[in-house]
Amino acid sequence: MDCLIIPATGRTPGVSFDFASGHLRMTGESYPDDVAGFFGPVFEALRGFLDCADGAAIRFDMELLYFNSSSAKALMNIFQMLETVAKGGRPVTLTWCIEENDDSMRELGEDFAEDLRYVVFRMREMPAGGVP
Amino acid sequence: MSFNLFAAEEEALAKARALEKRLDALAPDCLAEFRALVAAFELSTREQQRLVRVSDRLQAQLSDANHELERRRDEAEAALDRLREAQEAIIQSEKLASLGALVAGVAHEINTPVGIAVSCASHLADATQAIRRRATDGELSKAEFARYLATAIDTSDLILGNCERAAQLIAGFKQVAVDRASAVRRSINLAAYIQDTLVSLQPKLRPSGHAVAVDCPPDLELDSYPGVLSQILSNLVMNALTHAFADGRAGDMAILVDCLDADTVRLCFTDNGRGMAEEHRTRVFEPFFTTRRGRGGSGLGLHIVHNLVVGVLMGSISVESAPDRGTSFTLLFPRRTPDHELPVQDLAI
Repeated sequence: MDCLIIPATGRTPGVSFDFASGHLRMTGESYPDDVAGFFGPVFEALRGFLDCADGAAIRFDMELLYFNSSSAKALMNIFQMLETVAKGGRPVTLTWCIEENDDSMRELGEDFAEDLRYVVFRMREMPAGGVP
Repeated sequence: MSFNLFAAEEEALAKARALEKRLDALAPDCLAEFRALVAAFELSTREQQRLVRVSDRLQAQLSDANHELERRRDEAEAALDRLREAQEAIIQSEKLASLGALVAGVAHEINTPVGIAVSCASHLADATQAIRRRATDGELSKAEFARYLATAIDTSDLILGNCERAAQLIAGFKQVAVDRASAVRRSINLAAYIQDTLVSLQPKLRPSGHAVAVDCPPDLELDSYPGVLSQILSNLVMNALTHAFADGRAGDMAILVDCLDADTVRLCFTDNGRGMAEEHRTRVFEPFFTTRRGRGGSGLGLHIVHNLVVGVLMGSISVESAPDRGTSFTLLFPRRTPDHELPVQDLAI
């Protein structure tokens, strides 16, 4: 599988995993009615990608502006999967995107980064209300 | 002493570290596995703390959103109240304007008989002066006196006839105007009342040459609000003159009244003017709906009609129309208006 593309809906985020280039993105808002139904296929594809150990660099952009608790746990699980491959020597960069002036989201990002030792964590500000 | 939500987890971890030391001494081969377990528990505790923060953030956002929603709802309600007040004020001024038009109509109508009476009286006065001079001079002939008598009889007949006409008009107008202004409920003969109202509209009807034919049972008595009926009819006529016969279009109007049963009156107001398209027809009773915005249309005439029929007469009104097929309004209302609290704003002028 080269790509996993899931368009965003009102309650589920947009997923754009370009496995060929190692660029993974999640955008929009995430509060799915069926958490397992949404994240199940995402995790399966991600696991498949991380298991084939070609060692190429991975870039993960977390661009969610709003997510519920289940999605937060799903994100932590994804970050742990990335931490595991990074610990194994694969370069992983995680970019936590926040809207300008969203201090509580910034604090959450710092919090989420607490358990990342091998993943390179970056914080990026986006203009409020305006990323396509 | 500080409060710690995760005191129990930290206590468990402290115990685990103590146990780790004992394991190191007693069963060193289990140590790596035990440490992994402790690390997993630590991670899980941190994740739990994170989730609590996420959840708190969401709750705070929800609360903010609710407050914002409440504020906007209050704003929208206040705006709606202001809009209703403004609408009420416009409707009141519209009613005043229609009362003003009525008064102007009265003045115009009475002007004719009073004018004739004045010129006849003046003519009689001149003739009387002349005959008096002739009599004083002792030159009055029999024939001259006979001519004067004939003039006096003719002019006094004209004066009397026109004054009676004026008195009759004033009585009719007075009733219509009083009804309009006071909204008193009383018994009326519908056919006669329709005539009184149409007379007050003559100054509007005559120049354009549009006639209003009336077909109403002569003995139909209503116990209702005649001022409201008069206003309804005036507005329907004015609406037809403005729209159905716009730009000098020829045509006529008709008022047809019959009784569906002993208690229900049906009044149809029809014109054979230019009619209207379906998208206009469905909206004619909406307040401020007008096809003549900026050209004198307030969009309230038919809205007021609708309010008066439904709110005061406790009836219903419907409209049928098609382009170039004329328009027909059908009013159904009780012959005796049921007792109810009158919506004051519909009546007070």
